[in-house]
Amino acid sequence: MFESIEDVRERLAEQEYVCDRRLATVVYLALKLDKPVLIEGPAGVGKTELAKSLAAAADRSLIRLQCYEGLDEAKALYEWEYGKQLLYTQVLREKIGEVLGPTKGLREAAAKLREQEDVFFSENFLVERPILQAITSETPPVLLLDEIDRADEEFEAFLLEFLSDYQVSIPEIGTVEAEHPPVVILTSNRTRELSEALKRRCLHLQIDYPSPEVELEIVRLKAPGVGDALAKELVETIQEIRGLDLRKSPSIGETLDWARSLVVLGAPNINKDLIEETLSVIVKYDRDAEKVLAHVGGGPDSKDLGQKEPTGENPNEAMYEMHRSTHKHTH
Amino acid sequence: MDTVINDFVQVLRRHQVRVSPAESLDALHALEQTGLGERGVVRDTLRTTLIKNLEDIETFDRLFDLYFSLRPTAEKRTAKLDVHDHDHGQPTSMEFGEDAEGEAPDSEEHSHEDSENTEFRRHFDEDKMRPSEDIHGEADKMRLSMFSQELILNRKPGALDQALQRITHQLKLRRARGMFSPGDLVTHGDGGQELPLDVSAADFQGLVDHLHDLEVDESLIRQLEEQSEEILRTLPQLIEQMVERQKKLEKKKDDSALMRRSLRKVFDYSPAEQRETEAAIRRIARQIHGAKTRRLKQDRTGHISVPHTLRRNVRYEGIPFNPVLRRHHEKRPRVVMLCDVSMSTRNMSRFWLHMVYQMQSLFSKVRTFVFVADVAEVTQFFEDSSMDRAVDQVFSGRVLDADVNSDFGKAAEQFRNEYLPSLNHRTTLVILGDGRNNGKPPNAGALEEITQHVRQTIWITPEPKWGWSLGSCDMPVYEPFCDRVEVVRSVDQLAGVAEELVKARV
Repeated sequence: MFESIEDVRERLAEQEYVCDRRLATVVYLALKLDKPVLIEGPAGVGKTELAKSLAAAADRSLIRLQCYEGLDEAKALYEWEYGKQLLYTQVLREKIGEVLGPTKGLREAAAKLREQEDVFFSENFLVERPILQAITSETPPVLLLDEIDRADEEFEAFLLEFLSDYQVSIPEIGTVEAEHPPVVILTSNRTRELSEALKRRCLHLQIDYPSPEVELEIVRLKAPGVGDALAKELVETIQEIRGLDLRKSPSIGETLDWARSLVVLGAPNINKDLIEETLSVIVKYDRDAEKVLAHVGGGPDSKDLGQKEPTGENPNEAMYEMHRSTHKHTH
Repeated sequence: MDTVINDFVQVLRRHQVRVSPAESLDALHALEQTGLGERGVVRDTLRTTLIKNLEDIETFDRLFDLYFSLRPTAEKRTAKLDVHDHDHGQPTSMEFGEDAEGEAPDSEEHSHEDSENTEFRRHFDEDKMRPSEDIHGEADKMRLSMFSQELILNRKPGALDQALQRITHQLKLRRARGMFSPGDLVTHGDGGQELPLDVSAADFQGLVDHLHDLEVDESLIRQLEEQSEEILRTLPQLIEQMVERQKKLEKKKDDSALMRRSLRKVFDYSPAEQRETEAAIRRIARQIHGAKTRRLKQDRTGHISVPHTLRRNVRYEGIPFNPVLRRHHEKRPRVVMLCDVSMSTRNMSRFWLHMVYQMQSLFSKVRTFVFVADVAEVTQFFEDSSMDRAVDQVFSGRVLDADVNSDFGKAAEQFRNEYLPSLNHRTTLVILGDGRNNGKPPNAGALEEITQHVRQTIWITPEPKWGWSLGSCDMPVYEPFCDRVEVVRSVDQLAGVAEELVKARV
């Protein structure tokens, strides 16, 4: 599908997905070795996006399974359609006499009936869920298991068979194997550690916040309305904000949102007032907002990281925090 | 190549990076795909196949740089061998002086061999090399045979380079293993450096003898001998580099001092007392809740499940004789223990650590942290070593500085920053500490944030409530955030607390 690591990179770039060589190497290897890729990293750094772009670049369909707590086989793999099975039994009731015909004794009738029994446990009555879809699909798709860390550990264990051999066992039918192994991408936000067994079966990729150069490229690609100078300034500011000790650092998604909102506002350059007005786009927690504002307002329109505000140690702030927390508790 | 990778994996393992055999195989397969052409690609490939935990990435990067750092000699060879590879028509290229072709006799790359070569190989298999004169035992002999075999197979000058390269490399590896192994008596001085020279001479002699046995071209052998001399001349430098590198690769000192200290018994618990503790902890543990699963399971109580009921009652013509009930089950709890090991609680903390040890052995999902002013995870100690040893390790000062004043505020802050992702709504946080911050800010905010992430927080303190107002105790500040604050000073009290908890539930 891809000839070389460079090829991966170029084709992804065509899909407006900017990636470094490391990422391209992993993707290339995943395709060559038919191994699933586990991508870890903070929210909003383009983990899911990679799967989408990859599917587009390789011209394959994307099957997405959003994981959540309590996700089970019935939702992820397959389910028997009880209703349909029941309906068929009712409808076919008369037909049974015909099928059995003149038989000698119950034994023969039962034997005849047994010949027909796999009618009800056939693929007709099977609702295919994403994983089974990916396996049975004619053209191998890209299967995205999004936020696998949200699913239960049991679910992880049940994925193991699929991840190592690209097959699933359905008790009533048998083992379904994939003729063409799908490309499997798992993403995790690390809200919990995944099991060793799962990790062992995957190639591991850690995506972090991008370097300024890469981020600038992304902004230019995805938010074309932003002027060069503004984009540069914007990326610098974002990178600085990430340097602060925030509860939730702004991700690429937020950078782009911000870039787009600046375009809408028609802002020529970034200054303190503008940051204050549009802060809600990039920072999602009160406490973080405080910190960013304190940082931006640190010197007269200078955003020098060198003189970082000692936010955490500031006794006033600590007092404020305490006040806030006790206040919260009285409610 | 595979020996090199395997050895690198060994180094990783020595540094507590867990790499399974399957993963090292993956790495080899992956390298077959990417080739060894670019250092960056090799690094990324190894990293993606071998390293699965973020914490290990740093270690990996450091070790990779060190391990594959014999650049000067390697580069010369690379250039030479690239040429060789081109006229060989193979997509392999060299780096660090390793052979891209691998040694596994069944690897695909050997498929181009013609019949003559396979004959040679058969000859080898029967022959199994000369009887042992080699001081390095079976494994090394085999390796020697492998590359000499390949050397003959190729009958090209380039192959000689490879072979020699490999010999030197193996020397390095052997040296790397021998020198720092536990209980090694060899001093790291001059005496140690001479050894490899002898070794290599023996090896070369062995190789040459062997080639004679096989009636290979005389010229080839002569060439080999000449080159070997050159290699031998440069060997001391190589070894020096190697020792240098090895020193960096080697981590901490051995644990002998620690071992000696741990010879004395930490606890003089009678078995009966131990059993009592264990029972008390079990009782407490039953009160530690996990979260409800969203997945429903069949049970005798709960809600009726229509599809399951229908399915089960098909045999009664769809009349629901036999309803299926399902309900949410409770997950096994996850416990995070945060244990104060500072001076002020020193008497208690040994008891606590004992408790922690029991907890960990009873439950699969327990993570343990100790703190004074810093936080450090010690789960592994308790899992790997005996209790006395683990406790000693905690107090040895290597995990954290145990002699500073305790500062829960700072510890909580650090814990929040580093370990918050390991908490979730299923976690129960057990804090063992006296809440004395020695006048430092209590930093209740950090604790608050931590407690918001967990299901419940239990604080176990040695001081009774009336003592909190004395001195600089911040327990009153922390108390509102905890679901429970229990006073435990002894096994009896622990049992009492357990009883209380059990009663409270009923």
